[in-house]
Amino acid sequence: MRAGIGVRLFACLIALLFVAPTLIVAATSVTSGTMVTFPPKGFSLRWFQEVLTDPEWLTALGNSVQVGLLAATLAMAAGTSLAFAAARSRFLPPALVTGLAVLPMTVPLVVAGIGFYLVYIRVGLSGNVLSLGIAHAVLGLPFVFVNVLAALTGVDRRVEEAARVSGATEAVTLLRITLPLVAPAALVGGVLAFVSSWDEVVVALFLNTPQFRTLPVVMWSQVRSGVEPSISAVATLITLVSLLMAALVLVGPAVVKKVRRRT
Amino acid sequence: MSALSQIPSRASSPGPQASPVTGSDGRAGHGAGPGGGAARARRFPRSDFWSGAGLPGLVFVVAAFVVPMAVVVVKSLTDPSPANYSAIFTSSVYQRSVVDTLQMALVVTVLCLLVGYPYAYAMARSGTAMRTFLMVALMLAFWTSLLVRTYAWQIVLNDTGIVNTALRDWLGLTSAPIHMIRTPFAVYVGMVHVLLPYAVLALFAQLRSIDPDVERAAQVMGARPWRVFARVTLPLSLPGAVAGGVLVFVLALGFYITPQLLGGARQVYVGQAIMQQIEQFLKPGVGAAMAVLLFVAVLAVLGLAARFVGLGKILGVGMGRRR
Repeated sequence: MRAGIGVRLFACLIALLFVAPTLIVAATSVTSGTMVTFPPKGFSLRWFQEVLTDPEWLTALGNSVQVGLLAATLAMAAGTSLAFAAARSRFLPPALVTGLAVLPMTVPLVVAGIGFYLVYIRVGLSGNVLSLGIAHAVLGLPFVFVNVLAALTGVDRRVEEAARVSGATEAVTLLRITLPLVAPAALVGGVLAFVSSWDEVVVALFLNTPQFRTLPVVMWSQVRSGVEPSISAVATLITLVSLLMAALVLVGPAVVKKVRRRT
Repeated sequence: MSALSQIPSRASSPGPQASPVTGSDGRAGHGAGPGGGAARARRFPRSDFWSGAGLPGLVFVVAAFVVPMAVVVVKSLTDPSPANYSAIFTSSVYQRSVVDTLQMALVVTVLCLLVGYPYAYAMARSGTAMRTFLMVALMLAFWTSLLVRTYAWQIVLNDTGIVNTALRDWLGLTSAPIHMIRTPFAVYVGMVHVLLPYAVLALFAQLRSIDPDVERAAQVMGARPWRVFARVTLPLSLPGAVAGGVLVFVLALGFYITPQLLGGARQVYVGQAIMQQIEQFLKPGVGAAMAVLLFVAVLAVLGLAARFVGLGKILGVGMGRRR
């Protein structure tokens, strides 16, 4: 049954409410005035310029990128490894492995934050790229795991058998046959892990120090004292990166498939 | 756990199934096919190999996640004592916080389902153009950071924000600003905005899976459109509502950023209370105990819901995005 006109109008209204906040933030970031106003006064990129030349924001940007890349890398390695165990291991019960790999998805960020915080102060690992990168890797790991596990069930075992019959060792088969086959899925998971690290605030708040703060943490500390065009500029930058990554993951595989089919 | 094993079944990756040589369980070593004898001989080391391949991941998740969670439990019992828990259950401040949180999460869930259902319905039962428009709008919001969206609502709902400016300067309806920021109202607006996509995606997936012929059959039998919806479509879409609702509820329970920024001082939700214990009151033991209770509550709700709809369905919603 097609949706009635009333339902559609309502949906369109909600759709506008969905995008309005993002657009409003973007609009307030290109104001030439010194206050957050809507509609913005004039147009200028001065706030972007200010943000991108401010050492505090720049350091935070660098930290965020490093943490995100480390988190994505670790999540890809650990998630792929767990997916192998869940799909193929004879000794480890698949339910146990799957449970462990998916559990980080269910934990409230506040709870995860306390756990990381308590452990890291005890082992003296706090306020750096490594500690937050590991923490974010845990949170991003399920995305890699689920994607790789799905890809593994689609792998034709005969290809691997062929490699084995041809004399390849298990390790070589894994590296040369299986890994390349699931690599795209792992990469998709890795991008998702990067984005979830990129705009994560709560865990980052637990692990921040005055010397080590990520972009969302600096934004958080400034937002609490009020709204400003420079915050809008940072918010817009964060959003653009997230949306770009999302587009990469959501549209990318379809495009690749299309191109491949053509050639 | 059987529910969890459904997760890979959502695989969208096409491809041949496991070959008959290796058997449907995807494991080699049945001794059939080429090299059967060799396969039997290497059965042990081969299986061992995949466990070995999984070892780094297991070590990582245990060391970097299970251990920290265990430390939280230990902390809650030993800093200074298990009395942390009785403090939570006896203090009226904490009780109020728990009641407020449950109420807030429930209201947010109901609102998300009420608003999300028509949205998902319009998405599932419209032409390509409409569906694409609604999906793009949803995704734009979904992938905008939680902090950015909360900040946006701060701009909109401020005393000098867009809504108040519009009411006063453009429409001339008010002389003094209406206080919306730092009220439960602002929290509800912000949280529904953040969590609505989960409800919509769950409902959309369910609505899309309903066979159109079932509805057509009801129509052919003479049922009016409204009756078809009430007696056929709605019941068949309930699993999606449960999955989306449970996910929204569980996510709302632990929210910190949005209530902290948009809410007032009167409502302290559990997520904020945990932060307070650690940051302000320097009582990590009590904070840890609250965190344990929160996590247990989340797992209990998920476990309960998994009996009806399957955990894969709940956690699979909006895969790739967490709050």
